[in-house]
Amino acid sequence: MTATLPPDQADAAATETGRIPRPLRPRLARLAVFLVIAVGFIWGVSGLDVSWDRLRTAPSEAWAILKLMWPPDFATVIERGAIGKVLESVYIAWIGTVIAATLSLPLAFLASNNISPTVVRLPIRQLFNVIRAVPELIVAVVLLGVVPLGAWAGALAIGLHSIGTLGKLSSEEIESAAHGPVEAVEACGGTFISRVRWGVLPQVLPQIASYWLFRFEINVRASAVLGMIGAGGIGSELIAQLRFRNFPEVGAVLIITVAAVVFIDTVSSAIRKRIIAGGSGDPSRLMALVGDLAGSGRSARA
Amino acid sequence: MTDATASGTGERPAKPRPKPLTFLVTIGLVVWTVFTAREVGFRWSTFVTVWTNPLWEKFWPIPWEWVLDRDNVIDPLIETFQIAIVATVIGCGLALPAAFAMSRLTAPNSPTYWVSRIVMSIVRAVPDLFWAKLLVTAIGIGAFAGAWALSIFSFAVMVKLFSETVDGADPGPLEAARAAGSRHVPAVRTGVLPTVLPSYVAYALYVFELNIRASIVLGLVGAGGIGRIVEAQRTFFNFDRILGILVIVFVVVFVIEQISVALRRRLV
Amino acid sequence: MIELKDVSVTYRGGVKALRNVDLTIDDGEFVVVVGLSGAGKSTLLRVLNGLVPATSGSAKVDGIEVVGASGARLRAVRSKIGMIFQTFNLAERTTVLNNVLMGRLSNVPAWRSTLGLWPAADREIALEALERVGIVEKAYVRASNLSGGQQQRVGIARALAQKPTLMLADEPVAALDPVTSRQVMGDLARINSELGITTLINLHYLDLAQEYGQRLIGLRAGELVFDGDIADVDDDTFREIYGRSITTGDILADNDT
Repeated sequence: MTATLPPDQADAAATETGRIPRPLRPRLARLAVFLVIAVGFIWGVSGLDVSWDRLRTAPSEAWAILKLMWPPDFATVIERGAIGKVLESVYIAWIGTVIAATLSLPLAFLASNNISPTVVRLPIRQLFNVIRAVPELIVAVVLLGVVPLGAWAGALAIGLHSIGTLGKLSSEEIESAAHGPVEAVEACGGTFISRVRWGVLPQVLPQIASYWLFRFEINVRASAVLGMIGAGGIGSELIAQLRFRNFPEVGAVLIITVAAVVFIDTVSSAIRKRIIAGGSGDPSRLMALVGDLAGSGRSARA
Repeated sequence: MTDATASGTGERPAKPRPKPLTFLVTIGLVVWTVFTAREVGFRWSTFVTVWTNPLWEKFWPIPWEWVLDRDNVIDPLIETFQIAIVATVIGCGLALPAAFAMSRLTAPNSPTYWVSRIVMSIVRAVPDLFWAKLLVTAIGIGAFAGAWALSIFSFAVMVKLFSETVDGADPGPLEAARAAGSRHVPAVRTGVLPTVLPSYVAYALYVFELNIRASIVLGLVGAGGIGRIVEAQRTFFNFDRILGILVIVFVVVFVIEQISVALRRRLV
Repeated sequence: MIELKDVSVTYRGGVKALRNVDLTIDDGEFVVVVGLSGAGKSTLLRVLNGLVPATSGSAKVDGIEVVGASGARLRAVRSKIGMIFQTFNLAERTTVLNNVLMGRLSNVPAWRSTLGLWPAADREIALEALERVGIVEKAYVRASNLSGGQQQRVGIARALAQKPTLMLADEPVAALDPVTSRQVMGDLARINSELGITTLINLHYLDLAQEYGQRLIGLRAGELVFDGDIADVDDDTFREIYGRSITTGDILADNDT
C-alpha cells in the first residue's frame, strides 16, 4: 500500500505503524546505537592489552594447541579414573539440584503474591536476587573456606546457587497459576496447606519439575567447572593434565566431558518434554531459561 | 462439548494400579539419589556445622578502605566489564550471519545447516571456564584470553538462541523476495532480517548479562578481571576482602541487570 | 435457613457491590438470582460462604454468623456450603476422584489429605457423589480430559461430597452449550428435590430461570429489586430488573432436548 504513496507520506506512514516506541528518526537512532556500541567496544579493547602482534598470532597459537590434542589419549586418562570423575561431576550436579529443589519449592510459595503476604514475600525475593547474582564458583570459593575441600562442598555450592534461579522461576509459575481452583478449595473449607497442596500444586508442579531438570543440565556444566578449583569432578583432571601440558590427554578429557554433557542434555530434555506435554510455556520465561542453560541441545521449545 | 452421559456405564471403575513404569521410575530416582548422595559425601551435619564454623569470623568486618581502593577492586572490575563488552560485540556480531546459516528457514543448503548445527552443539557442550582455561594455556594469562573465551561462548549461545527465532520467522516475505528473482543473501537481508531484528537486540542484551556474570569468575582460571583478585585473596584466606568484593560486584551487577531488563522489555 | 440482614459490600476502590440487602431463604428452597453482570449476583453468593467479606450487616447460615468469621469457624461454615463455579475451578492435572475428594478436606486430617491418603469412608462418599451426577466411570481420569459439561458435573460432585446443607452455584452453565446447560440445570434441580439441599443459583438466561427456578431474586446495581414466586414472573419483571428491554442475548433458546 505504502508503495503507491509519495515518498514523504510513505515515510510518515511507516513511522506511525513502526515498532519503535519513541518516534526518533530511525536513521539517527540507528547511528546513535552504532556509535554507543563502537565506543564501548573500543574502550573495551583498550583494556585488554591487545597488540597487533597478539591478535595476529593468537589464532594460530590456539589452533596449534588444538592440533596437539589430536589424537586424544583416552587410555591414559581412563586409567587415571576420568570416567569416575565425570560421574562424580554428574553426582555433584544431581545432589546440588536435589538440595536446591527441596529448599526452593517452599521458599517459592513464600515468595508468591497469591500465597504470601508482602512482608514475607519481599525479603525472600531479594534473597533470590542476591543468590542469583553470586556465581556458583564464588559460592564455592567462600564455602571452601568453611567446608572441607571436595565433592560435598561442590554440591553445596551448586545447591545454594541454584536456589536463586529455581526459586524465582518457580514463584513466577505459582503466581501465574489460576485462582479458580484455589477459590474452590477455600469454598470447601480448606486450610492454607490444603489451598497450596490441592489448589496450586497440581497446576504448577509439572512445569516446576521441568525447571528442576533444566537446572540439572546447567549444573552438570557448573560442576565440571567447579572441579577446576578443587571441588571434585572432571574439572580437576582437566587442570592436572593442562598443568603438565599433556595435550592428547586434555583432548580426551574434553571429549569425555562433551559426550557426558550432550548425553545428559538429550535424556533430560526428552523427559522434560514428556512432563510438560500439553502445558504451555511462557516465551519470555523460556528465553531466560535457555539463556541460563547457555546452550543445551534442544531445550528452547520445551 | 455435548455430553454422552447416557453412554456412560454408571459402574464404578476399578482403581487403576500404578503403572509399572511409574513405580520403577520412582524407585529408581530414590535409589539414584541415595547413591549419589553417598558418593559426594552428603552429610546432614554440615547444615549445622557450616553455621557454627569459627572460620566465619574471618569474613567480618569488611575492610572497606582496601575494597574501595581503586587498584584493588575497581580497576579489575572495569577490566571485567571490558571483557564482557568486547566478547558480547564480537560474539553477537559474528552470530548474526552464522545464525542465518544455521536456521532451517534461511540456510543456503542442508550440509551447511547440519555441519554448523553439530559444531555449535559441541562448542556449547564445553563449559565456559574450560574454554577460558584452554585459551589461557594457548595464548597466555590475562584479559585477552578471557575475552577470547567469552567471545566463543557468547557466539555459540547467541547462534543457538537467534537461529531459533529465525526458524520461527514468517517465511512469506522470503518467498516473495525469491519469487521476485532475488539472490539468497539479499533475499534474507530484506525478507527476514527486519522481522527478527528486535529479538536479536534483546538476545544480545541478555548475552551481555550472561557475560558480565561469567567474566566475574574468569579470573579464577587466570583469564583476567575481578576473579583474578578473588583467586589471589583466596590463596591467602582473606575472606573478609572476598566478601567486600562480592558486595561491590552484587551491587554493580544488579544495576546493570535492571538496566538491561528494562531495555529488553521495551524491545520485545 | 439463610438470613441476610442489611448486608452491604464495598470493594476496595469504593465500588458498592451490595447495598443493604435483606433476604431470608428457607431450607430446601431452589432460588434463582438474576441481574445484569455487575449487579452483585456473585458477591451475594460469596458473602454467604465468606469468600467475599461483607462490609456491614449480618449473614447467618443455619444460625451461624458468617460476617466477621475467620479461621476455624469460617472453615466450619464453609464445609457445609457447596459451591459450583462458572469456570468449574477443577485441579485439571489430577484425577476426577481427587477433585471430588477435595470436598472432604475439612473432614480429613491435614496430613492425610496432604499426602493424598484419603480414608476409605471419604472415598466412598466421593464415589457416591460421582454416581449421583452420573460420571463415576470417569473417577480415575484426569480432569483435563473431560468435556466442559463433564467437568461441571465433577464440580457438582465435589460440592455434593461436602454433604452440604446449602449449595451455591455461580453461573454454572455460562461456559456450556445449550444442551449441556439444560442437563446441568436438571442435575441441580434433581439434587435439590431428592436431597432437599437449599440451592442458590446465579443465572444470566431468563428462560432457564423461568424453567427451573421456584423462587426468583432480582438484583440491580447491588440492590434487591425483586423477590417472588417464579409463577408471578413475566417479561415485564425482567425488564424492570434489567432496567432495559430483553434481548436475544438474555435467552438461551435452543429448545428442550
